[in-house]
Amino acid sequence: MNNIQYVAPQSIDEAVAAMAAANGTGRVLAGGTDLLIQMRAGVVSPGIIVDVKKIVEMTTIDETSGGYRIGAAVSGAVIGEHARLKKAWPGVVEAINLIGSKQIQGRASAGGNLCNASPAADSVPALVAAGAIVTVQGPKGRRDVPVEKIHAGPGRTTLQPGEIVVSFTLPARPAGSSDAYLRLIPRTEMDIAVVGCGVSLTIQNGTCTAARVGLGAVAPTVLLVEDAAKALAGSRLDDKALEAAAAACRAACKPINDKRGTIAYRTKIAGVLLKRAAGIAAERAGRK
Amino acid sequence: MTPPDAGARQNAAIDGDAAVRFIVNGRPAAVAASPLTRLAQVLRDDLGLTGTKIGCDAGDCGACTVLLDGRQVCACLTPMGQVEGRSVETVEGLRQDGTLSKLQQAFLAHGAAQCGICTPGMLMSASDLLRRTARPSRAEVLDAIGGTLCRCTGYQKIIDAVLAAATSAGVDSPPVGQAVGARAIRVDGIAKVAGTESYGADAIPHDALWLRVVRSPHAHARFALGDLEAVRRAHPGLEQILTARDVPFNGFGIYPDIKDQPVLADGIVRYRGEAVLALVGTREVVMRLADEVLPIVWTMLPPITGVDEARAPGAALVQDDRPGNLLMEGGVRCGDVEAALANAEAVAEIAVETPFVEHAYIEPEAGWARRVGDRLEIHVTTQTPYMDRDEVASVMRLKPQQVRIVPTACGGGFGGKLDLSVQPLVALAAWRLGRPVACIYTRPESMAATTKRHPARIQARFAATVGERLTACDVDAVFDTGAYASWGPTVANRVPVHAMGPYRVPNMRSRGAAYFTHNPPSGAFRGFGVPQAAIAHEAAMDALAEQLGVDRLEFRHRNALRVGDRTATGQVLHHSAGLAACLEALRPRWRDSLRHVAAFNAQARKAATHRRRGIGIGCMWYGIGNTSMSNPSTMRVGLGRDGTLTLYNGAVDIGQGSNTIMIQIAADALGLPMAQFRLVAGDTDRTADAGKTSASRQTFVSGKAAELAGADLRRQILRLANAGTNAALALDAAVLTVSDGETVRRIDLAALAADPDGNVLVGKGTFDPPTTPLDADGQGVPYATYAFAAQTAEVEVDLELGTTKVLRIVAAHDVGRAINPMQVEGQIEGGIAQGLGLALMEEYLPGRTENLHDYLIPTAGDMPLIETILIEDGEPLGPSGAKGVGEPGLVPTAPAILGAIAHATGVRLTRVPVLPHRLRAALQAKPGDRP
Repeated sequence: MNNIQYVAPQSIDEAVAAMAAANGTGRVLAGGTDLLIQMRAGVVSPGIIVDVKKIVEMTTIDETSGGYRIGAAVSGAVIGEHARLKKAWPGVVEAINLIGSKQIQGRASAGGNLCNASPAADSVPALVAAGAIVTVQGPKGRRDVPVEKIHAGPGRTTLQPGEIVVSFTLPARPAGSSDAYLRLIPRTEMDIAVVGCGVSLTIQNGTCTAARVGLGAVAPTVLLVEDAAKALAGSRLDDKALEAAAAACRAACKPINDKRGTIAYRTKIAGVLLKRAAGIAAERAGRK
Repeated sequence: MTPPDAGARQNAAIDGDAAVRFIVNGRPAAVAASPLTRLAQVLRDDLGLTGTKIGCDAGDCGACTVLLDGRQVCACLTPMGQVEGRSVETVEGLRQDGTLSKLQQAFLAHGAAQCGICTPGMLMSASDLLRRTARPSRAEVLDAIGGTLCRCTGYQKIIDAVLAAATSAGVDSPPVGQAVGARAIRVDGIAKVAGTESYGADAIPHDALWLRVVRSPHAHARFALGDLEAVRRAHPGLEQILTARDVPFNGFGIYPDIKDQPVLADGIVRYRGEAVLALVGTREVVMRLADEVLPIVWTMLPPITGVDEARAPGAALVQDDRPGNLLMEGGVRCGDVEAALANAEAVAEIAVETPFVEHAYIEPEAGWARRVGDRLEIHVTTQTPYMDRDEVASVMRLKPQQVRIVPTACGGGFGGKLDLSVQPLVALAAWRLGRPVACIYTRPESMAATTKRHPARIQARFAATVGERLTACDVDAVFDTGAYASWGPTVANRVPVHAMGPYRVPNMRSRGAAYFTHNPPSGAFRGFGVPQAAIAHEAAMDALAEQLGVDRLEFRHRNALRVGDRTATGQVLHHSAGLAACLEALRPRWRDSLRHVAAFNAQARKAATHRRRGIGIGCMWYGIGNTSMSNPSTMRVGLGRDGTLTLYNGAVDIGQGSNTIMIQIAADALGLPMAQFRLVAGDTDRTADAGKTSASRQTFVSGKAAELAGADLRRQILRLANAGTNAALALDAAVLTVSDGETVRRIDLAALAADPDGNVLVGKGTFDPPTTPLDADGQGVPYATYAFAAQTAEVEVDLELGTTKVLRIVAAHDVGRAINPMQVEGQIEGGIAQGLGLALMEEYLPGRTENLHDYLIPTAGDMPLIETILIEDGEPLGPSGAKGVGEPGLVPTAPAILGAIAHATGVRLTRVPVLPHRLRAALQAKPGDRP
């Protein structure tokens, strides 16, 4: 049995160096709620664990000229207690706060949820809807990537060897904007989404001027549904526009049949959740 | 199939294990541990803080919840590298100077701990909340404890306790003569809330070897073993690899004549998860050794996956000597069913399908054994110490007296710990090696390897005629008993007796049959098949009421079995048949709810929303104790030379509270206060056989024995004092005072001769409920008494999503007499939670749901408000009139929920669980109005 190395660097540069030196056997440890279980199950056997919880940039939330920069390793509980962030991006925060139980919230991070690359990851559809930009650092330096470009398939990302997700940036947005995330599970809490839907929109004088829609658990990756956003934008979020957006969501679905839901069910529910999440986001944005 | 424990101690190999320094419960600690070692392991193994429990080791159950810098986290997912320099609080830190915190006291006072395995985690989750919010709302409590699973309580009493924590006061022990009927706190409660209770995994000797079972990844396969000795030599620390050849008698099973399950498979496996090899050695080595390293050559064979395949003509045999794959069948016949059906005014035809259901106790199987001379001593979590003793003796070819079972505290059973798990394996290894050997199942192992609720297919026809009287019942129930018999015969026998439901049905034909498949063995699970059968008879009652145009509750009330009625087995009920009283108690609330639901739905239709409400009702009856078989209990109460008063109680308390019940009963029978009793529980060397904790029998059967034992001791004392029957007793140290009117006699116990246990007087009681065998037509007296109950459920269905939220349940139960109303409520509330899970979410799929995030059980947030109404229609045979309530709480719940969904939506589902996608599909298939 190979020994597993553990390092807890203070800076991203050191973390990247450690990952690069690991030749692909490095794994980032933030809250560990996915990694430790995968190690125990023998699914992954890393050569080196890079604990990023001591890196300030990855464990803090900053306000940046109207927007927010959220360290990738900030726990869900800390995000949930950030009052201004919650006011600005209630959908993103509620999505992150749906990852696991209260106990998991004390540890799990949005960065980990993204990098685990589950199509059913709760935080990701909301971050996709929010237009979050992911800052990634690797041996070749930093780059910014739209969050929807990170997932490549179940358990796979587009991150290059040695790259680490550093933070998420949520943009500044005009007045009359808000977001919402809804997911369906058969019990009240702690389950993997059967379908998840995030909607972010801006409403001015009763008209939706901008919208983004993210869908989870209905395809191998979390989807950005641009046709749904188009159906909403420019409308007054009337029944016709909502149904057109729901139809776009249903059309985007390529789900699987499994014990949690059938293809037909997931497809139908994607449309239902779109309508409801859009309604909640619109209320939050101050419609009426 | 068990993965190597990559999280275990091998991570200690990192860089010489520098000490991790942190604060535990306010005190500094330094532990040499790898940064990746998990906090739960360090707390338990390095610091001896075993109050932190490991239920799943995967962040799904919350049993290991501790506070890290004041915030609740799962200790099983917290690596030590991230604990360095931080503050950890565990359940052991809640007591200050030996005094329980207000929260702990509230848990005791409200009966919030049953088995107690979730209690430490629950306390820590609640502490997190209460430190931020001293007087939280109910919603805040639900949010705070939502990540901590409890399988016993249904969460109601936990929620009550957290809400009351700020104001909680201690509860006085009931005075002499008033123990029966008192809401007495658990006699074993302090250890449970303090985190000091010792479960199967908590007191393993430091020098114990570890045993890991290698299990089949296949449902059906032959296998050949290669050179195991080479493997052993290649892995220093691996002492032995046990195979089928090493087992003296390689078969066990519940029934004396059916020992069909091998301890270790012999060349063939019949279900995924079956034990193949046992690795015995140091913990590090056996947990790290991957299955792939072992020379097992598999030849896959086609599995029989369900009863349809098992029953098909020419089907391959799961067990060679079981033609047609039939384990057994039972049935009841009376009257002329065909004639009654032909003359009926209304006939309901129902087809029910239920899946495997997992017990999901939060404590996985665990225990250890050691050899003491020519005897074996096994410390294990169990529901049935005497049966374990006899079974281990049979496997080991020892005399029963050579085996001692010492039950640890049991972290939940529900029937699942009535079968052997670790017992024969640790016994065999300890016997051969002469060293203590321990085994703890992992959560996936517990779920894959152990028994389940029998999947059922039930076809039922019920008929009624003029006057809304039930006239006929024709039920055919087929069960998937899995690869081995386990409790299959019990299910196949019990269901036909109960198949007509708690109603007068003059003409009945019922059949129950259990078939072998290559699925996990189905065993005992709260209700022994009756919960499945109740889904059928209650769907039929609703259908008949609808056809006849009568109210669903009133139709049941009209047909309810009453005193003087004859059951389908020909048994006349002479006493204690309180279903009508249960329904009468529910009637006003039922009528109110019908009005509320109608108003809500009218409003919802008007507003064109997608939410609809409905109310449903379920009734049940349940025979207490074994079916037509002797099942005696013996209890002893000893009065010691030093004045100690001891109940020798062989009835294992698996959380339901029998330790407390027995002392309440014995105290009043004897005439001394509960508080003076000491308990010796379960140990087969020290207590008499009180049978299994199953079939809702302990209060009725063992409770009666406790009553007789207390009365026997009292009789002996009165004789000694020459006092009359109304004399008052008082025990003060070694002086027993007997006051009979003017006469006061003091007995100096120290002056009397004592037996080897130190007792000068011992009262003994034995009770075996009177039953008779069933004849070929199923006629006879299968049970001495029956519990009755009716529950109503109010639900809200989201027609678009197909989701169901249960809003409220009212449960009326005829328990004969509630010895401890708080504990009775706890049983009912916990049963309702499991019934809700059966109705809405629980479905075990071998290989796909072997953990607590793919197999869902209800969380606090899933539970409705529950109101319990206790009906006390006394049973003269029982102690103070008591019957049993362990299983009855669960039986009517799923039928009531299914009825409520039908009322809300117009769609009757009889396949459970009603997952959202199934309800949605059924709604879409409904003719006419498509949501």
